[in-house]
This record gives sequence, C-alpha cells and structure tokens, in this order.
Amino acid sequence: MKKKLLAVTLAAAMAASLTACQGSESADGGGADNKGVSITIFNSKIEVQAQFEEMAKEYSETSGVNVEVYYSNDTVAAHLATKYSSNDPYTLSMVDAKDVYSLAEDHAIDLTGEKWVDNTNYAISMNGKVVGFPVCVEARGLIYNKDAIEKVTGEPFNPEDYTTLDAFQGLLEKLAAGGMETPTGIMKEDWSLAGHFLSEVYETQEDVDGFISSLHEGSADLANNARWNARMDYFDTMMKYNYAAGSAIAAEREVSEQKLAEGEIAFMFGGNWDWSMINAYEYSENMGIMPVPENTSDGTNKKLVGGGSKYFFIDSSDNTSEEQRQAAKDFLNWLVFDEAGNSFLTEKCALVPAYSNINAAGLDPLSVSVKSYADAGNLIDNYNYLPDDHFSLCGAAFQKYLAGQTDRAGLAAEIENYWKSTTPVEH
Amino acid sequence: MNANEKAARNKKINHVVKILILTALFVCFVFPFVLVVINVFKTKADITSNPLALVGAHGFTMANFPEAMKKMNFGRSFLNSAFITICSTVLTIVFSSMTAFVIVRNNWKACGALLGMMVASMVIPFQVLMIPMVSLYGGVLGILNHRATLIFMHVGFSLSMATFMFHGSIKTNVPVALEEAATIDGCTRWQTYWMIVFPLLKSTIATVAIIDAMGFWNDYLLPSLVLAKKELYTIPIATQVFYGTYSTDIGLVMAALLLAMLPILILYILLQRYIVEGVTSGAVK
Amino acid sequence: MKTNTMSYKCRQFLMFAGVTTAMFIAVVIVPFIYGIYLTLTSWDGVSKQKPFVGFANYAATFGDGAYWQAMGRTFLYSFIAVILVNIVAFILAFLVTSGVKGQNFFRAGFFTPNLIGGIVLGYIWKFVFNRAFVALGNSFSIGPLSTSWLATTGGAMLCLIIVSVWQYAGYMMLIYVAGFMSVSEDVLEAARIDGCTNTQSIVYVSVPLMTSSFVQCLFLTVTRCFMVYDVNLSLTNGEPFNSSVMAAMHVYNQAFTYKNFGVGQAEALILFVVCAVVGVLQVYVGKKGEVSA
Repeated sequence: MKKKLLAVTLAAAMAASLTACQGSESADGGGADNKGVSITIFNSKIEVQAQFEEMAKEYSETSGVNVEVYYSNDTVAAHLATKYSSNDPYTLSMVDAKDVYSLAEDHAIDLTGEKWVDNTNYAISMNGKVVGFPVCVEARGLIYNKDAIEKVTGEPFNPEDYTTLDAFQGLLEKLAAGGMETPTGIMKEDWSLAGHFLSEVYETQEDVDGFISSLHEGSADLANNARWNARMDYFDTMMKYNYAAGSAIAAEREVSEQKLAEGEIAFMFGGNWDWSMINAYEYSENMGIMPVPENTSDGTNKKLVGGGSKYFFIDSSDNTSEEQRQAAKDFLNWLVFDEAGNSFLTEKCALVPAYSNINAAGLDPLSVSVKSYADAGNLIDNYNYLPDDHFSLCGAAFQKYLAGQTDRAGLAAEIENYWKSTTPVEH
Repeated sequence: MNANEKAARNKKINHVVKILILTALFVCFVFPFVLVVINVFKTKADITSNPLALVGAHGFTMANFPEAMKKMNFGRSFLNSAFITICSTVLTIVFSSMTAFVIVRNNWKACGALLGMMVASMVIPFQVLMIPMVSLYGGVLGILNHRATLIFMHVGFSLSMATFMFHGSIKTNVPVALEEAATIDGCTRWQTYWMIVFPLLKSTIATVAIIDAMGFWNDYLLPSLVLAKKELYTIPIATQVFYGTYSTDIGLVMAALLLAMLPILILYILLQRYIVEGVTSGAVK
Repeated sequence: MKTNTMSYKCRQFLMFAGVTTAMFIAVVIVPFIYGIYLTLTSWDGVSKQKPFVGFANYAATFGDGAYWQAMGRTFLYSFIAVILVNIVAFILAFLVTSGVKGQNFFRAGFFTPNLIGGIVLGYIWKFVFNRAFVALGNSFSIGPLSTSWLATTGGAMLCLIIVSVWQYAGYMMLIYVAGFMSVSEDVLEAARIDGCTNTQSIVYVSVPLMTSSFVQCLFLTVTRCFMVYDVNLSLTNGEPFNSSVMAAMHVYNQAFTYKNFGVGQAEALILFVVCAVVGVLQVYVGKKGEVSA
C-alpha cells in the first residue's frame, strides 16, 4: 500500500514537473507561467530587509511566484558556506562584488543575453560570461550637513568651493571659530578605515593593478606616494577636528551618524548607504556627498569613488530547478523593466539605479549626490580584488594610527608589510 | 557589657555588613538590567543622546515593543522556541539520566569509554562541527529545516553535560540498597530505574532542566544552521536583524531581550528551590 | 537471571544508554571525524573541490603569528577571568549561605545574567561601557569613566573580564552554595568546639571539604573562557586594532572571513586539544587534592 502511494506521488510529481518545464519554455522570458514556483532570495543589505520582505509579499501575489527573502548577520561567506554544504542554496543571492568573483565559477549561471545586460555598465563578467546583476550604484566620499554649516558660517555652502584641502581647512577653522568646535567625525570600524578609505589610495592610482602588484612585490614606496600623502593629509585634518578626538577608537557609528544627522558635526567620510542610519534620527534635509578634499591637481578631488554595488547571481546547482532559475531571471527583469520593480528599487529602497532606463525620482539626498556624479561620469571605479583579510589586518593598523599609537611612516610600513606577505588575488 | 552581649552585638554588626556587601554586589549585577528597563521605553535618538535619563526628551514610548514583536514575528517565533525547548529538555533529561544510571551501576568498559568521550566532547569548539554537520545532515541526508532535526541535535549536544551531572547525582544520592530491595521484590532493572531511582533525582532534574532550557532558548548558532525557513525561526534567529556588523538597533535589542527573558525567568523562579540541592549532587566525584 | 553474560550486558547497556550513544555518535563524533578530515584539505568553504593537501594546514598554523598571539591572549584572559570568577562566586556563595535575610532573592538576582544569550549580553554591555559609563563620567566628572574603556587595548581586555565575571559568577555561585551546604553541621560544630574562628573554619574545614566544587567550577570556567566567542564578537569584535581577538574568534575569521577554511579548522582542532589538556590536567590535579569526607 505504502509503495503504491509513493509511486503515485512520484508519478504525479514527474508529470507536474514535465508540464512545468513545457510551460516555461513556451513562455520564455514572459514569466507568466511560473505560477506555483518558489524561489528564495538572500539579501545581504540589512537596511532594506523590511522593504524586501514587503516586496516579496506583493510580488508573490501579482506574479504567482512564491518569493521568500532571507537575511543573516553571519559573515556572507560563512552563511553561504553552510547553505552550499547542506545542498540548500538560495535561488538568488545578493553579495558583494568580491564574493561574486569567488563564488560565481562554481555556483552561478550564465546571464549573458539577458535583456538588462544592455542597460547597465556595471554588470560583472567572468571568462566572457555575465554572472552578476548589479543591484545599485553606491559611492564613497565626504558626507556633509549643509544646514549645519550654513547655520554657523552664515554663508551659503557650496561643496565645489572646497575641493582642495587648504580651502577645506579654512572652512573647518571658520566652523570651529563660529562655535562648532569639532566639526568632523570618523568611523573607526575596520571596514570603513581600510575597506573604504584606505582602498581609495589604491583606487585613485593611475594604474591600479600595476600599483597593487608593486605592493605585492614590495617595490611600491607608499611613504613617498603622492596619492597616499594627499589622502593622509586629509585624514590628519579630520582627526584634528574629530568630535571624539580623545577616544576616537571607541566612537560608535550610531552616535556619529546621529551627530551628523542632527548637525552637531558637519562632515564624515562615508557613502550613500549611510542614509539608512541617518534617517533614523532628526536629520537635516540638506545633506550630500562631496569628493574628499585634497591638495592635488590630478582631478581625483573632483570625483567620488564607487560604482555597481551588491550583485545578484542565480544558483547553478542541481538543487535549483530550471523553473526556479527562470522565475529568478524574470524577477531580475521585473526589477529593471517593470514600473513596480523600478519603484521598489528607487522609491522604497532609495537605491541609485544601475540601469540607464530607470528614472530615479525620490532618492534620498546622499543618493542624489551620488547619482549626479555617476551621471556626469565622475565616479572612480571600485577595486574589487582586495584580499579577504585586507580590511581586517590593514584596518587594525589604521586603527592604531587613529588612536595615535603609530605615525604615518609606521602605518605605511605596516601596510607595505601586509601586502608583501599576502598572495595576489587572481583575476 | 558581658561577653554574651558583645557576641550578640558583633553578630548583628556582622549581619548588617553582610547585607550591605550583598546589596552593593546586587546593584552591580542588576545595573545593566536597570539600564535596559530605562532605555527600552525611549526612542532610538534619545537612547543615543542620553542613555541615563529616566525619560527621554521625546517622552515615554512603548513603540519598541510592538515594533520588535512585529519584526521578529513574536507569536510564531515564541511558539517555535517553546516547542523546541520543551521537547529538547525533556528528551535530554530522560536519555541522559538513564545513561548515567547504567554507567554508575556497572563497571563495564563501554560505560567508561562513553563517559570519557562525553566529557572530552564538552570542550570541542562548535566551529569545528559546524560545517561537517550541515554537510552531513543537509548535504547527505537532506533533513535540515525540520524542528525535529534541531531537537535531535540539541539533545545530542547536551547529553554529555547532562549525563555528567546525573552521574554524580546517582553516585552520591541513590543508595544501592534501595535498588537491591526492589530487585528482591521482583522489579526488573527498567522498573527499578523508573520507580525508585528516577524520582530520587528531582533536584538534579530541576538543575539540568533550567540549565539546558536556558541554553536551548538562547542558542543562536545551531538553530540558525538547521532552521533556514522563516516559519521555523526561533526567537534568537528572528532577532538577528536587530544587530550586526554595520549597525545595532539597541532599542529593539532591549525590547526583544525583555520579551525573551520573561518565560525563562519564570521557569527559573519555579525551579529555584530544587536547584541548589541539584548542583551539589552533580559535583565531580 | 544471569547478570554476567555478554548478552545481558549488551541488552542492559542498549536499553539504558543505546539512544544516548547513538545520538552522541551521530551528532558529535561523526561530524568531528569529518571535521578532522577537512583539516587535511585546502577547501575554501564554498567551492566544490576539496583538494587533499595532507598536513599543510597544520604547517600553516605554525606560521600564523596572529593565531598564537590570540592563543596567548586567551591564556592570559582565561587565567585572570577564571580566578576572579571563582573568587567572586565563592564570596557570593558564602554570603548567601550565611543566613542573611532574603538570600533566595539575592541568589536569583546574581543568577539572572545567565538567563541572557551571549551575543545579546555583549551588545548590552557594549552599550553600558560605551555610553552609560561615559555619560556617567561626563556628568559627574569622573575622569576614568569619561572615555570608553573599550578604546584601549588593556581596557578592552578588562571589559571582557568584567563581563565574564558578571556572566559566570552567578552560575558558579550556585555550585559553591551547594558545596557549602554539603559540609555537614557536625563537622563545623566540632571545629567551633576546638576553638576555630569563623574564618578559620572556612579555610581549614569547609574549603578542603569542598574540593569537588572547586574542581567542577574550575573545569567549567576554564573551558568556557578558552572557547569564548559570542561575547568577544558582540562586545569588542576584536577591537581596538585586533588586540582583543581571542582564539575562537581568530579561528572563525580564518575559516570564513579570510576564507582559509582548512587552516581555520586545523586551528580550531588545536584549540580543542589545548582546552582538553588544560581541562583534564586541572581535574586530575584537583582530584588528587580531594579530601574524602
């Protein structure tokens, strides 16, 4: 009896999957016939988790594809490692660019030929195949609170007037004299110091790959590098006016963001993702991101650093069925070509779209800045091939500098030593 | 003043000093909880700007509770946690006490080997087992994402410590003569165990129950590996969105903490009177 | 019924310990053995290939300076934390068994920290150290409190120790309370008649009779301190400048953040061996000193 039941169930399941296959073939790309398929999405962007869950509910209703969104606060690599080990991967995973490079070969399907590929400059390709779908554009720079500055100086603040460090220092002095004694904040987290700030020293080099290999070989001379010194001069200025100068290394991100949002401080290095924290407080509307001020003539002080950020890839293993993959592809197309998808990305999540056809209205102030730099072609590319331990080890060295336990030469030496003892990342 | 009065007075002073010291220590111990209770009724901005104020600048607010409850889907997570905790605790107690009984009463090689391995396993860092476990149970057997699997693993991991505690307790608290009498009366070993031995272990049962239940209730890592479906989430997994590498919503963390702590606190108070005796008997012998 | 035949023994063992043995093997032993195998591969945790590399990961472990630093730090931290936890727990136990009013209330209060999971506990204490203490320090101008202790190398370590004491003292207190109560009144009475003061009777009578409590508490605190991870992660996250990274945290980072899974696994295994040796040694020494009542 039991066997009979099993056989019947199996037969039914096979029949169902056969018809499902036919369905998806006939409606290639249309996505109308994916009803009843379930897909899972891994979201690694905590600030939009609530929005994603809400979207999943609506999308499930309108498309008939059952979507579930998951988040984990474990390291992305650790979390996905457990999912792969247990043969239970997500249909769609959102990860950082560097993770795409390490995961795609084994776990991602080829997305070449998808419609959205032509509409973006940020897709990730490996071995000639498109594997990563860019979710948004993000960029790093100096976040400013315009209202706070103008309130103290009494003059209109125009970020373009402060591209040089000299001009910027003049402004800081004025702010300090005007009552805002400590107008800057510094994020002490290793991912910010090394992952975001230090990496700009590499990213703003003329030949980034060449510079990185010279670091590996030990032939790079950081202490006499113009980019390094320009960045560090800026950093020293920020340290001098840091509101938490006494215990810079204990400044909590939440506190710094609140001070910036509410205008107690006016400047902090960050990116447009910081808006998700700023908007939890009583923020000023007039904020934005400007290039890091530097005394340089190479033009880097007129650009932000950034580009595509967070990438979706679709699982290639046998644990994901063709129908699921099709439903996942349809979902990506929905994000780019459907009005509801567009409004989800730009209005609900306030992400700067990575696609030329998406009209971004209703962005937050930081994203507006980023978009204007991106549209004008004023973004310096991210370098996505830093070794996995770079942010942690160089971040620790940088924290020492921030705490005053080492000087610039010492920091340069530590960073050089790190690179010399690290095996190059192939790409 | 005679010697007796002096002694009596000394005793009184002694008593007062002890109470003072205890109170001071008590304040240190509950200080963080007081802060939690003060801050949980404030807005996020007020918590950051003035953590010590009794009432924040934006006034008293209950908002953290409903928001935390909604975000963690409190009802469902609570039921999942409760079901898993209760089942795991009961099974752990049943299996480990039986095992301890057979180990204590028989000087067999298998018994010694089992106990030895169990004690050694108590110092295995969980990170060593994490990936192999999901590979085995997910990759090979494909039985993750069931509450039963989690219960199975919870019990598997906690058996060592529990057996160890029952071992000491049976050895010191259960007279062999009682068992012999039961055997003479015609009881099998099985009956002897359930009718004579098990009821004598009340205090150890209470101790193991509270310690294991606490562990199961608060465990994050293991459930997060086993339960990857939303409808199965326990409280600790459901609250993970409140904190992380990039930000911590301390108001929600505090609200969730209070919500999650309450049931276990009640359990503790209920079992408190048994516990003290229980730990004695679990002592290494 | 014969009780010394093999089949009787087997049946008895299976009846009482069969399920336990099976579960223990399934959940702990098998994954552990597979885990040992993984230390012999250069797997990165996510790729499909697990190339066999023999003992290369163990060799790499010896070259990983940060790991041994973390190990040394863990020894130092454990040493101080274990001593403090036990002293505090012993004092607490003494006070709550000395017959003061409301001792059950006090016991419950001291035990409450155990009711919170490690990760949440770390975040709460981070809040206390970084904000509450600093706010206190600023409003009452208490110098040492006005900057966060978590900002300095020594301070972060101190914070970890304070939190560990706070977390474990209540639990260990319970074990010591039990120890105190197991020392029979007769013995203490005899000591009193022989002219012992209170302090003397504790030092010379109670303490020797409580050796088993000490052994148990030390075993529990030593192993827990050596494997500390949750609190380390949420309280300091290794900061400042990776100076508070303990062994377990380094192992996790090595395996998952730096994606050297095999090396991380090998390092975790070494940590296990160290824990086991320290734990067993300590129990062995303790048992030798045990006095039979």
